Amino acid sequence: MAIKYNIDEIDAKIQEIKEAAKEIEKLGGDIEAVKKNLVRLRASTKMLELNISDVKLVM
Amino acid sequence: MAKNASIYWNPIMETMPREKLRELQVKKFKRIFEWAYNNSPFYKKLYKDAGMEPGDIKTYDDIKKVPKTDKGMLRDVQTRPPFPYGDMLAVPLQDVTEFRQTSGTTGTPVYQADTWQDWEWWAECWAYILYAQGYRDTDRMFIPFGYNIFVAFWAAHYAAEKLGCEVVPGGVLDTEARIMKMQELKCTAFGATPTYVLGMADTARKIGIDPRSIGIQRITCAGEPGASIPTTKKRIEDAWGAKVYDHIGATEIGAWSYMCTAQKGLHVNDAFFLIEIEDVDTGEIIEEPMKNGKMVITAFDRMAKPCIRFDSKDVIRWADYDCECGRTFRIIDGGVVGRADDITKVKGVLLAPTAIEEVVRSFSELSDEYEVIVTKKGDIDDIMLKIEIKPGFEKQEAEILNRLKDELRVKTNLGYKIEVHPYESLPRYALKAKRFKDMRPH
Repeated sequence: MAIKYNIDEIDAKIQEIKEAAKEIEKLGGDIEAVKKNLVRLRASTKMLELNISDVKLVM
Repeated sequence: MAKNASIYWNPIMETMPREKLRELQVKKFKRIFEWAYNNSPFYKKLYKDAGMEPGDIKTYDDIKKVPKTDKGMLRDVQTRPPFPYGDMLAVPLQDVTEFRQTSGTTGTPVYQADTWQDWEWWAECWAYILYAQGYRDTDRMFIPFGYNIFVAFWAAHYAAEKLGCEVVPGGVLDTEARIMKMQELKCTAFGATPTYVLGMADTARKIGIDPRSIGIQRITCAGEPGASIPTTKKRIEDAWGAKVYDHIGATEIGAWSYMCTAQKGLHVNDAFFLIEIEDVDTGEIIEEPMKNGKMVITAFDRMAKPCIRFDSKDVIRWADYDCECGRTFRIIDGGVVGRADDITKVKGVLLAPTAIEEVVRSFSELSDEYEVIVTKKGDIDDIMLKIEIKPGFEKQEAEILNRLKDELRVKTNLGYKIEVHPYESLPRYALKAKRFKDMRPH
């Protein structure tokens, strides 16, 4: 299915974004501007997971 | 696979083989079931009482054993904390960023909570819709909507931005001002209820603007079944010189279905939703095409207030045709063809209000508005249709009424009293129209 796309590779990058978000949160401590913008980043990242990473459920 | 990728928002999901989509649906159903079980007190009790837990969902057939939810339950939970959503909520209250409510057409409004992620999800579902309907980053989309407490075109706005469209919010403007702004800005697309789209065309003509001259290329309709009723769709397309596409969604569910540019039935977003059609009499799940049943729907990825096996009461049917667009998402024929609680017996005959609309809108001599009132005189049902005849056709009234009565009888098997009202005297609606009024004591 959809072999022209490398799902594993795209998913790996998506997971890297999630990991990076965790690190930024840790580094940002109690900075609200970091915490609240990460909520938005994570929501967008989730949409990437729904569109791409979920394909791995049936690969 | 993934042929002609540019016509798909997500070619991987939209062209996935159906057996793989089914497999994906089972996995995603299991995921949302587990989420709801572990985070929502309402769902935990519902499933525990039914003797079910997450490990029980292994196959598609297992899903059919999961208890359904309905609007009554959604209202009932609101009597319990946390205020105002109740214990169906599956996230901490402070994570909720969006409040919307249902229109209350069928009773007490249901309050809907969404987190920011849920709101992204709304826009994502709408992105599938708009992209399939030909919206691109070159479009300037006008939103003639009040940006109020109803979800309506809020999510369309966010989705259009996601696609890169230029979005013009027509919030507090009145209809005339909206039309003039659309003309001034050379908007290429807009979205509204079919009733309002027709009303806008009328208003445009009144202020001397031919709606066809504005340059609108595509219109997305929602909120009412009109754009899937061929005669109504034709009226709108003729009035605006644009392609009209239907979309179906609901506040408590999400944006689950859409017509693509092929305009052949409505695709259901099988990657984000599970649509089951249930036989109203037997409760069996209908897989065969062209057989009406009520929709039971699950949104796989809505987290704050999960929607799992929701008995929507919408009557739909699977199509017996595929779509030339190449999407493997299944197709429903004719949109929402009625409501399980809306199809009513009049004089012992089952009547769907959409059938009346189909006939009335096929008469070019009649205005876009009409009203149906069912009353009871003694033991006998009485059905009255109020119509308006367009200026210039008044002298043909008798002939029009005879033809209308005949066509209504053929289409609905019922006889009607018809009342002709002065042009533009029947109520006009900006959101959902209430044209069918059953005044019988129940």
